[in-house]
Amino acid sequence: MADPASTPLGKMLLEEITPVVMVLCTPYVEESCLKNGLSLIQLLSPFCDFTNIDVPVRTASDQPYRLRKFKLRLFYSSDIRQPNLEVAKERLKKVITHVGEKNFLESSDPSQVNNLLSRPESEMLPSWFQFFNKELVRTLSFSDHEAFDHPVACLLVVSSKDDEPVNRFVDLFNTNKLPSLLNDGAMDPKIMKHYLLLHDNQDGPFNKATKLLADMRNAFGQNDCQIICINSSQDGKIHHQDNPWAPFKSDALPTENLGCFLNLDDLNEIKDFMQELSSKHIIPYMEQKIRVLNQQVSATRKGFRNQIKNLWWRKGKEDTIDTPNGPVYTFNSIESQIRILGDYAFMLGDYELALSNYRLISTDYKLDKAWKRYAGVQEMMGLTYFLLDQSRKDAEYCMENAFNTYLKLGSAGRRNATRCGLWWAEMLKTRDQLKEAATVYFRICGEDTLHSAVMLEQASFCYLLSKPPMLHKYGFHLVLSGDHYKKCDQIKHAIRTYRSAIPVYKGTTWSLIKDHVHFHIGQWYALLGMYDVAVTHMLEVLASTHQSKTMQELFLRDFLQIVQKTGKTFEVLKLQLPVINISSLKVIFEDQRTNASAAAASVKESLWRSLEEDMIPSSTARSNWLELQSKIIPRKYKESNICVAGEALKVDIEFKNPLQIRISVSSVSLMCELSANPEEDANSSNNEVQNNEDRTSTSSGDINSCLILSEVDFSLEGGETTVVQLTVTPRIEGILKIVGVKWKLSSAVVGLCNFEFNPVNKRVVRGRRKQHSPSSDLKFLVIKSLPRLEGFIHSLPEKTYAGDLRPLVLELSNQSKFPVKNLKMKISNPRFLYAGNQKELNADFPACLKKKMNVEKSGSHANVNKTLQNLFHFPEDISVQEETSLSWPLWFHAAVPGSIPLYITIYYEMEGVSSIMKYRTLRMHYNLQVLPSLDVSFQLSTRPSRSQEFLLRMDVVNKTSSECFQVHQLSSVGQQWEISLLQPVDSILPSQSLFAGQSLLCFFMLKDHRRSSTSEDSIPSLSHIQSDVRLGPQDNSEAFFDVSSSPLADFHDCERSSQGMSSQGCEYKSF
Amino acid sequence: MTTAACFIIASRNDIPIYEAEVGSAAKREDAAQLPQFILQAALDIVQDLAWTTSAMILKTIDKFNDLVVSVYVTDDRFMLLHDSRSDDGIKSFFQEVHELYIKSLLNPLYLPGSRITSSHFNTKVGALARKYL
Repeated sequence: MADPASTPLGKMLLEEITPVVMVLCTPYVEESCLKNGLSLIQLLSPFCDFTNIDVPVRTASDQPYRLRKFKLRLFYSSDIRQPNLEVAKERLKKVITHVGEKNFLESSDPSQVNNLLSRPESEMLPSWFQFFNKELVRTLSFSDHEAFDHPVACLLVVSSKDDEPVNRFVDLFNTNKLPSLLNDGAMDPKIMKHYLLLHDNQDGPFNKATKLLADMRNAFGQNDCQIICINSSQDGKIHHQDNPWAPFKSDALPTENLGCFLNLDDLNEIKDFMQELSSKHIIPYMEQKIRVLNQQVSATRKGFRNQIKNLWWRKGKEDTIDTPNGPVYTFNSIESQIRILGDYAFMLGDYELALSNYRLISTDYKLDKAWKRYAGVQEMMGLTYFLLDQSRKDAEYCMENAFNTYLKLGSAGRRNATRCGLWWAEMLKTRDQLKEAATVYFRICGEDTLHSAVMLEQASFCYLLSKPPMLHKYGFHLVLSGDHYKKCDQIKHAIRTYRSAIPVYKGTTWSLIKDHVHFHIGQWYALLGMYDVAVTHMLEVLASTHQSKTMQELFLRDFLQIVQKTGKTFEVLKLQLPVINISSLKVIFEDQRTNASAAAASVKESLWRSLEEDMIPSSTARSNWLELQSKIIPRKYKESNICVAGEALKVDIEFKNPLQIRISVSSVSLMCELSANPEEDANSSNNEVQNNEDRTSTSSGDINSCLILSEVDFSLEGGETTVVQLTVTPRIEGILKIVGVKWKLSSAVVGLCNFEFNPVNKRVVRGRRKQHSPSSDLKFLVIKSLPRLEGFIHSLPEKTYAGDLRPLVLELSNQSKFPVKNLKMKISNPRFLYAGNQKELNADFPACLKKKMNVEKSGSHANVNKTLQNLFHFPEDISVQEETSLSWPLWFHAAVPGSIPLYITIYYEMEGVSSIMKYRTLRMHYNLQVLPSLDVSFQLSTRPSRSQEFLLRMDVVNKTSSECFQVHQLSSVGQQWEISLLQPVDSILPSQSLFAGQSLLCFFMLKDHRRSSTSEDSIPSLSHIQSDVRLGPQDNSEAFFDVSSSPLADFHDCERSSQGMSSQGCEYKSF
Repeated sequence: MTTAACFIIASRNDIPIYEAEVGSAAKREDAAQLPQFILQAALDIVQDLAWTTSAMILKTIDKFNDLVVSVYVTDDRFMLLHDSRSDDGIKSFFQEVHELYIKSLLNPLYLPGSRITSSHFNTKVGALARKYL
């Protein structure tokens, strides 16, 4: 280990445990000194610290050694008393507050633990701890239980201006004004005196002063009187480089003018005087005193006889009163003498002697139960052991013993314990026992919260500096310290400590800790009015899901209050309230594929694609490389998504409230950038683009005019999740980029979420790309406004019964200025939906289905092939003109029960509007719920006798739960079958309606005319074949429904093709 | 009888994977974070001590005021913050919780080192705490 004296503790001891000189002076002396802005003591202080003095000293046993370092402490006699507790406290508080202000402004916190540790130790440890500790130790000066603060000498100073200086000297040492220590017997009032005459050169010539000196020497002795001159400089313009007084002026006054009247001669004179005082007077005096005392002690206490005697004597005293401070010892008691001997020896660096005396006295005090004195001696023993660098264990034991003994005294010893603890911790730190030092600091914490805070902070630094660093402990103690600071209203310190703890707790999963730290920092910054910083810390705790409901409420309320106080709206990039599920992001946009409804948009692209396969012109399949050159759509355009100006892009986003409390979110909208198309210029110069678009230069600055953004407001209950659809409508061409989403929380904070940051899992519904970067998914080429058909099927039921047949009207409307033409339609399920004839649009239903007597039947199946293909071409001449609508009839037939999805896609072309997009498709999607209605089954059996005749058994069951049906007619498809009832319907079904759950059994006769008439070749007779049987009321003269005409026949064909049956079927009609 | 305040299982990376308020100690809203602070700080001590002894139970390794930390060291650390000592109870508590924990580790759906969310585990720990602490 290094020399103990050069360790921090060693230095501290050599500075603090040094001989005290009591200074007495007249007002004139002070006056002369104050011309320099300094008091007498301040003036002398810089010259009391001798680092290279070299005085030969002899120990008590005549061992010579040389004293190299020496220091005197000067005090006015009025200051030689135990400092007022309140004043001392106030001073310490000032120190702390001052440091707090200073550090608060300069604090720059490392954000990483590694940074924290990589700094040099000296930088890490705040320097003001040393200063504070020193101040704290000084509050305990001049206790009567230890002798090193007792003045060794007295310096009497009188000015040459004073009248009768010799008498003044006598007056000065007036016992009435002397400190109580000298008067109450705690120390020897016969103290070494030294007389100094101070001459102010401004007041007159030096001659007068020399005469006075002679008088003094006569009166007080030749050696003990001296004279110094000050203020030799007349103009007071002397400027001292490295002003020696600056460290001694505690207040923040400018220091340049200090000592302005003192020239170099004055300084040298003062220096010489102090040196002489130390080396020629004080040190020899102390040496002498040590010798005398040592002899006394040896005579009374050393040796076997004396020890026995002493023990015997102490034993006898045992039944004396047990006062809390133990017995009172006057200065001339042997105990006090031993203590003085020890302290003097200590101050002169003779630690062996000091230690032996301390040991000696310690047992005495212990036996006397003089606990405070005992603790004081133990403390000194510990320090002496330390400076001797002998037994570490002993040193620590002594310190601990002293500390505990002081603590046992209760509040009286509390502050002494603090001092002892400080030294002890310092000792441990010197020996790299930082963990133990931290424990000591922790133990020092007592009633005084402010001091505890500083101690805890020092403890935290011990943990930080220990090897390996104990970061958790460091953080914990910083937080504890911060709490203590806060209790004393040292908010700046509190913030500082908490902020130092942040790197430790950064990214921690110990959630309560993190919340606690950030919440309090936020709160405290708010107390200081630094709302901006407060908000950033509050944001950290805002989305704390693990907290209880009350805490969440508290966090949110405080946060909103702070935000309100800032008076501005904050934009927060990663506001976690509410949480946005990026993976749920769904962009719905329309290029050539348009959707009639949201339902259509949610259908899988592959489904549409297979449906549209043979309808849209497949450009890629047909094109060769020659065509590719002149391709209408440049490559770059193909890579990005295309959308059309004036048409809304929809984005579905999921918001989740992570808290248990309700939050309100408003003004949710997308953030978009719309910029001019960069490729336009490049491509147009190549002449490869037949781009006749008007170039509209847009900047993202005037976004408002170019984009229409939707805004949504909603509120979320605790834990609720909601999906919000946001839209953006570009109004001019360019490149549109969806950047993110923003929202307002409780109308106070704006949250921003950039989609770019989490590119994973993004799903673009209409994505037709494979290897695109995610950012291009949200980038759109906006092209010129195009016609867009709106499609709607009127009165399509959501829920119906199987077998239902009804006409529907498809309405296509064109809102744009351009006509569309060449319309085609494809329906996914021709069994259910079938495009009719324009003539049927206004037809009367169901009358139009009935047999019309005068209609030719031939050619009624002409469109069979077309329907099977289920691609319907609108007539060539049909086009949807600007701002008109087209209605087209559709036939609907609920073929089978179940949940039936219907997909309809309509293809149309526009001309001359855009080169990029020639055609568009309109996609419509409906979901039907078809309930079972009548269950019809047939059984056919040949009549054995006649081969052309069959017996047909029909079972009809009403499967519904409540509906009532009327069976109308049974028809056979194909003209070669004649069908007839075997018994009248009335007898089977008198009510003529089939109620829920009811069944009907009918028998028919079926006659094959084809077979019977093959030879006859009588086609004309076919029309007279009775292929329909009325099952309804017989008296009804209504016409039969015509099963052989559209749409019944068409649907029948579909059924047949889908069932793969070639035989005949039956039609019935119910209402 | 011990009045325990807090029981935490910290994974080997010092991440708390299970937290429970056990025992009868009255919970204070304003100091809810204190057990976490103390236990986390105690991890530093465990780090040191765990290599010096072969015992699994480290009794009273750290204290803060009248709260004491006892730790059961496995690959993970079971940390109990309590305010008086009944060694046998704490020992049995730790052992039985360890068994429970091993069972939950055997669950193929549980990823070691992730947070234990099983309510079954929670109720069992609660029952053990009532039994032993």
